[in-house]
Amino acid sequence: MVVAAVCGAVIVFGNALVMGYAERKLAGHIMLRPGPMEVGPHGLYQLVIDGLKLMGKQLVIPKNADKPLFMLAPLLAFAPVFVPLLVIPFSDKIQGFDLDVGLLLILAFASINVLAILIGGWSSNNKYSLFGAIRSVAQNVAYEIPMLLSLLAIIFMTNSFSLKEIAAAQSPVWFVIIQPLAFLIYIVAMVAETNRAPFDLPEAESELTAGFHTEYSGMSFSLFVLGEYANMFIVCSVATVFFLGGDSGIPLPYFEYSGIIWFLMKVYALMFFLVWIRWTYPRTRFDQLMNFCWKYLIPFSLVNLLITVVMVKLL
Amino acid sequence: MSMNVEVLEDDKHHRYVLNMGPQHPSTHGVLRVLLELEGEYAMNLLPVLGYGHRCHEKIAEFKPAKSFMPNTARMDYLGALIYNHGFAQLLERACGIEVPERVEYIRVITSELNRIQSHLLWYGAYLLDLGAFTPIMYAFDDREHILDILEDVTGSRLTYCYFRVGGVSKDIDDKFVTSTRAFVKRLRGRFPMYEDLVNGNVILQNRLIDIGELTPQTCARYGVTGPLLRGTGVAYDIRRAEPYSIYSKFDFEIPTETKGDCMASFLVRFRELEQSLRIIEQALDSLPEGPIMAAKVPKKLKIPAGDYNSSVEAPRGELSYYLVSDGSDVPYRLKVRTPSYSNLSIVPEVCQGMLISDVVSAMGSLDLVIPEIDR
Amino acid sequence: MDINNVKKQWQTLATTVEAVDYAVSGHDYSLSLERDKVRDFAAFMLEEGFYLVDLMAVHVTPAIEVVYQFAHVETRCRVLARAFVDDNVEMPTISDIYQGANWHERETRDFHGVVFIDHPYLHPLILPEEDVELKPLLKAEAKLKDVEAIRRQPPEPAPEPKPKAKPEAKPEPPKSQEQS
Repeated sequence: MVVAAVCGAVIVFGNALVMGYAERKLAGHIMLRPGPMEVGPHGLYQLVIDGLKLMGKQLVIPKNADKPLFMLAPLLAFAPVFVPLLVIPFSDKIQGFDLDVGLLLILAFASINVLAILIGGWSSNNKYSLFGAIRSVAQNVAYEIPMLLSLLAIIFMTNSFSLKEIAAAQSPVWFVIIQPLAFLIYIVAMVAETNRAPFDLPEAESELTAGFHTEYSGMSFSLFVLGEYANMFIVCSVATVFFLGGDSGIPLPYFEYSGIIWFLMKVYALMFFLVWIRWTYPRTRFDQLMNFCWKYLIPFSLVNLLITVVMVKLL
Repeated sequence: MSMNVEVLEDDKHHRYVLNMGPQHPSTHGVLRVLLELEGEYAMNLLPVLGYGHRCHEKIAEFKPAKSFMPNTARMDYLGALIYNHGFAQLLERACGIEVPERVEYIRVITSELNRIQSHLLWYGAYLLDLGAFTPIMYAFDDREHILDILEDVTGSRLTYCYFRVGGVSKDIDDKFVTSTRAFVKRLRGRFPMYEDLVNGNVILQNRLIDIGELTPQTCARYGVTGPLLRGTGVAYDIRRAEPYSIYSKFDFEIPTETKGDCMASFLVRFRELEQSLRIIEQALDSLPEGPIMAAKVPKKLKIPAGDYNSSVEAPRGELSYYLVSDGSDVPYRLKVRTPSYSNLSIVPEVCQGMLISDVVSAMGSLDLVIPEIDR
Repeated sequence: MDINNVKKQWQTLATTVEAVDYAVSGHDYSLSLERDKVRDFAAFMLEEGFYLVDLMAVHVTPAIEVVYQFAHVETRCRVLARAFVDDNVEMPTISDIYQGANWHERETRDFHGVVFIDHPYLHPLILPEEDVELKPLLKAEAKLKDVEAIRRQPPEPAPEPKPKAKPEAKPEPPKSQEQS
């Protein structure tokens, strides 16, 4: 249990370091510039120094902000990421807890993020933050539905909510080949759930200065960012488990835990994709975002679910 | 159209006033817009100007007219050479000074390079407003080449004060010609990438199409000129309508679109890049030798009494200088009619009832440079 | 736009209509208007397809002169129209005809103090609210000129050629750029 918790912490902070560095370097190269180069060879220590800097900054609280809620929001964004990590099967031998209802746990804890954003936006006593928070609530609540529906199609096929069984059920063929539509819907919903571009309206920098985290500085801001990167990791892991076979891959000789290497490779391939589209596309407008969810994603995922159910019954 | 920001009237108590303040990532410059919002819809917009007022017109009444040239560059820092051109032309017209032919060619080439540079910056910054973080880097990469070329010959990167009354201050050399030709070739090669990756993107098209539609009548009532007017279908370009300098010698098109929305002015500006490249190529091909300053420009340039007007096509629209002189070398009154001033004034009418994201989109498509509004 | 029809209509609306040399002055026509004809003139120009280029004021004696500039998009026609303000430094507004004049008139009020009657929102545009009385572009007494001083002088007549038989009569010196 303790080991699992420590590993969870290592994953969260390690992931933030790796992803933060990877994002900035990738963003740089997509933009024809080298990214961080100064701190350490090719900027490798940049994130470490950034973390130290953010920890050392003064926590500024706006005058009329609701102080307890203001301090609560980043914690609420950051704390719930540890729990889903416990149920993700990194390989067939490495998993914190193998729960029967693993998926429900993950989805439940992912929803707490919405609450954190709303509390953060409201308590900042700033119209821009409130704007960002309200947009985020509508967006996250809406996009949870296609996320769930596309995963439900897989659940129907494997008859279990346990992530380990779902990962194991994908030999010989990965579910991405059987359920391509569900995969696509899930990918789009995943981008919207984590508030990443092109769906990053809650923190739309050029329209709303910085959206819901306008007033946060220093450690509070970094907690939001850590939570965001960990969330990205979790949703990409769920995608890997459900669609890309979890830890299946060519087993490496002399290494019992080779599954985890394949798992991490797949997760980081999806994260690379997330970073790639962030720096390539402009932002959608808010009503276009909501239209896309309610008028396109949800009907398609319902149709997909229906077809899956029918096929499962027939076969 | 007053907006009492303290207390909104009773039946509008569900509206609130959001201040897109003088410091905001999307208002390019120090522009303040008060938005009366109902949810996400902007019901009333009130631009508040004057944050960048530097009294240029008052300064013009205290300096000899020739010395006002640097001030013209500070008004629109992105189209500085074109502002220089308009002012130099004004004084040359007033005093009957004829400039040598080589000067005209140099002026046209550098002005068109300036126009391209301004449009590239607008392109990148507009896409940054819409959330695409990368095209600005590519656009600025291309822009750096122009800035290097112009820095060699003018000495500045942004606020050029290169033209003089009667000529230019320094001659261009072979290095200028070769690097400009290389740049023309390079930018032409980049257009397919811009078109594929940016202009054809479905997200961008959804953000721009049918937003902020203008009609030629609206443009006439507000005095809107430039790419916004050409986006509504009116092919009015001062370089073609009142050919000044040697623009009548060059073969170039005036791109127009019909719808008048943000996408229309976006495409018009993008296509103007190609037309400017054509003008530069033709000018470089027929660049004559000669002096770079007119023969007899007096040190104390007395302007005959009367009023004079000079209109040029700035990247944002029609720029007009109106000078009233009483016969001395200091102007009696100088008025600078800047394009962004008229372009911004459509915002309260055209952007009413829009979503706030669309307001950002519409204001970006106006291509505003606030210092030229406040002067 | 038929320029002859337009000119005929101008004769009825304006007090004087003058064709000006575009190469020197940058305008094609220069008109002077009575104050109460300004709105009719603006309505006529909008109907004919002219757009409002500029609206500004010049401080001269006897009264501040408000200058309107129009241009046409199809044929080249730049028109300058002037009108004097009345004794209360007031002028009728054209902002309900040309909405672009809304901001121009606010600015003119900022800089010269010209009050435009029936303007919907005559608050300072460029200057801050508290500087309404500043009127920075009004000239000081010493610098204020008469309206004739800023009008274009007709070119001086060419010197008469003196017969060569009288060498002591010097021809007039060629006109320099000096004009008072």
